[in-house]
Amino acid sequence: MTRLLRIALAGLALALAAPAAHAQTGRDVPPPAQTQNPNGANPTAGAVTEDQLFRELNKLQGRISIPDGKAAVLEQPQGREWRAFRESWLPWIAGVAILGMAALLAIFYFTRGRIRLEHGEQSGEKILRFNSFERFTHWMVAFCFIVLAISGLNYILGKRLLMPLIGPDAFAAWSQWAKYAHNFLAWPFTLGILFMALVWLRDNIPNRIDVQWIRQGGGFLGDGHPHAERFNAGQKIVFWTVILGGFAMFGTGLLLLFPFSAADINGMQLSQVTHATIGVLLTAAILAHIYIGTLGMEGAYDAMGSGQVDLAWARTHHDLWVEKEQAKTASGPQLRPRATPAE
Amino acid sequence: MARMKFICDAERCIECNGCTTACKNEHEVPWGVNRRRLVTVNDGKPGERSVSMACMHCTDAPCAAVCPVNCFYTTGDAVVLHSKDLCIGCGYCFYACPFGAPQYPRVGNFGSRGKMDKCTYCSGGPEADLSVAEYEKYGSNRLAEGKLPLCAEMCSTKALLAGDGEVIAQIYKTRVITRGYGSGAWGWKTAYRETVAI
Amino acid sequence: MRVMLISAVAAILVATGAAFFLGQEQRFAYQAFATTGARVTPSSNLVGPRWTGDPDVPSKSGQITPPPG
Ligand code: SF4
Ligand code: SF4
Repeated sequence: MTRLLRIALAGLALALAAPAAHAQTGRDVPPPAQTQNPNGANPTAGAVTEDQLFRELNKLQGRISIPDGKAAVLEQPQGREWRAFRESWLPWIAGVAILGMAALLAIFYFTRGRIRLEHGEQSGEKILRFNSFERFTHWMVAFCFIVLAISGLNYILGKRLLMPLIGPDAFAAWSQWAKYAHNFLAWPFTLGILFMALVWLRDNIPNRIDVQWIRQGGGFLGDGHPHAERFNAGQKIVFWTVILGGFAMFGTGLLLLFPFSAADINGMQLSQVTHATIGVLLTAAILAHIYIGTLGMEGAYDAMGSGQVDLAWARTHHDLWVEKEQAKTASGPQLRPRATPAE
Repeated sequence: MARMKFICDAERCIECNGCTTACKNEHEVPWGVNRRRLVTVNDGKPGERSVSMACMHCTDAPCAAVCPVNCFYTTGDAVVLHSKDLCIGCGYCFYACPFGAPQYPRVGNFGSRGKMDKCTYCSGGPEADLSVAEYEKYGSNRLAEGKLPLCAEMCSTKALLAGDGEVIAQIYKTRVITRGYGSGAWGWKTAYRETVAI
Repeated sequence: MRVMLISAVAAILVATGAAFFLGQEQRFAYQAFATTGARVTPSSNLVGPRWTGDPDVPSKSGQITPPPG
């Protein structure tokens, strides 16, 4: 009985639907008020839907007939999140880190002032602190770093600060060259970091003297000069920051230079996030290093400039190192056995 | 002015790749660059779906936001275009684009990667409409000729629709009501922050 | 001072070398995203003789027919 009734109803529905379907072939008709599908069945009800896939996966991936793996990703909403990081967070991280560091250094400069040579620090006698290869390495990394930092910051802040000043065309041309410089100077930078790690690693292993040095505020806060070997704890911190940061920049940078060779789209986004964050933090740290090496402390620049420092200065700042050096050469405070003479 | 959108009715798409071919030919898109492509989800399994995807011309486009040289602009028809003169080929737009639309002439992200290329909604670039320079850089400008994107116009099953968002949404809605079920407006939520209400 | 200059020169040299070697590694999309069956000869079946995607290098130089309109 019910079955009969259902068939009769379906037949009626079909009969009603037929003229409407005819009308559609002629011209536009307003959308029907209700479905005209005769049996209401969905032949592809089992087909995947976007919503369902997104509930299960974080991105939609399929098969594609072109041999380009990354094109098989149909949809990755993470792009929006990466955009939020790059456009909302990163400029602030960069601004706060770099301007904050500059402000800190300014405050330090105006309150503590330049750390001057003390009277007893000028003996006239010199001691070789960095041989020419060490200085070469330092300056190669330094030169590359400055270019890398500026061209890197250009990616983040350039369009906000520089573009309004010089206009889009000049800015695009400059950015293109900055990009070349960034890509290619990364290699001598890494080479320099490698050399640096080789020549200075030995002298930068943290030890007990460093604890003491830090406890005494490194001589910045008080007036005393804590003991220090070739590198004091502060310099060791700079060393490890540069070495670890440098290698992290190289690793993530490599992923960015060869896109999609080792990472998928989310991996690429993550490398960019890491690369940019470490980059701006490193830039802020190096600002402090530049400050102390030049303006912040009288006499410090010579170590990297000419390679030679005043013996008396070395005695106050790196007493344990001077002792060791002098013990090595019977003839007094001079070059290390195989060190190249400074010019 | 219209708010141009694409919609791909996955129920109708038969993965014939007519749209990709039409696009390639219309704009003389070189080998290896695919402004429009077909992705098949769950390929070969029951319930597979093929979706034709190109640039969706997003609302508040992520590509435009992340570009370090700000080379994107949105036309009066809400089409997202870019200037190949300014682009430095950094590849950032590809990381931000939810649909993988931007493409580059060279693979490595160093040196000369070339200028980013993507779907222009058949409406060229910043050069003068229908100029040779525009054609060489961005392909033809059908919108300026009063025509809609060729991919959708050529679609054999009319799965892919292009045009004013409201109009194509209405066509899709009518279909859904007529056949009694929808196929989901793939990508709409991500691109336009809305979906077609049925 | 001399060491500084030398290091800058060395950095530029290494960078140039890197540019050279990376340039060798660089591949066109038509090489990277083509299967073995595809015969891509950039002179005839690509948009231009040397399609770089670079607007300064004219594509289809001389043969282009401006679209109607
Ligand atoms: S689909 Fe991608 S390229 Fe197109 S507007 Fe959206 S983010 Fe930009
Ligand atoms: S590749 Fe070009 S268009 Fe894309 S974000 Fe970089 S500069 Fe902008």
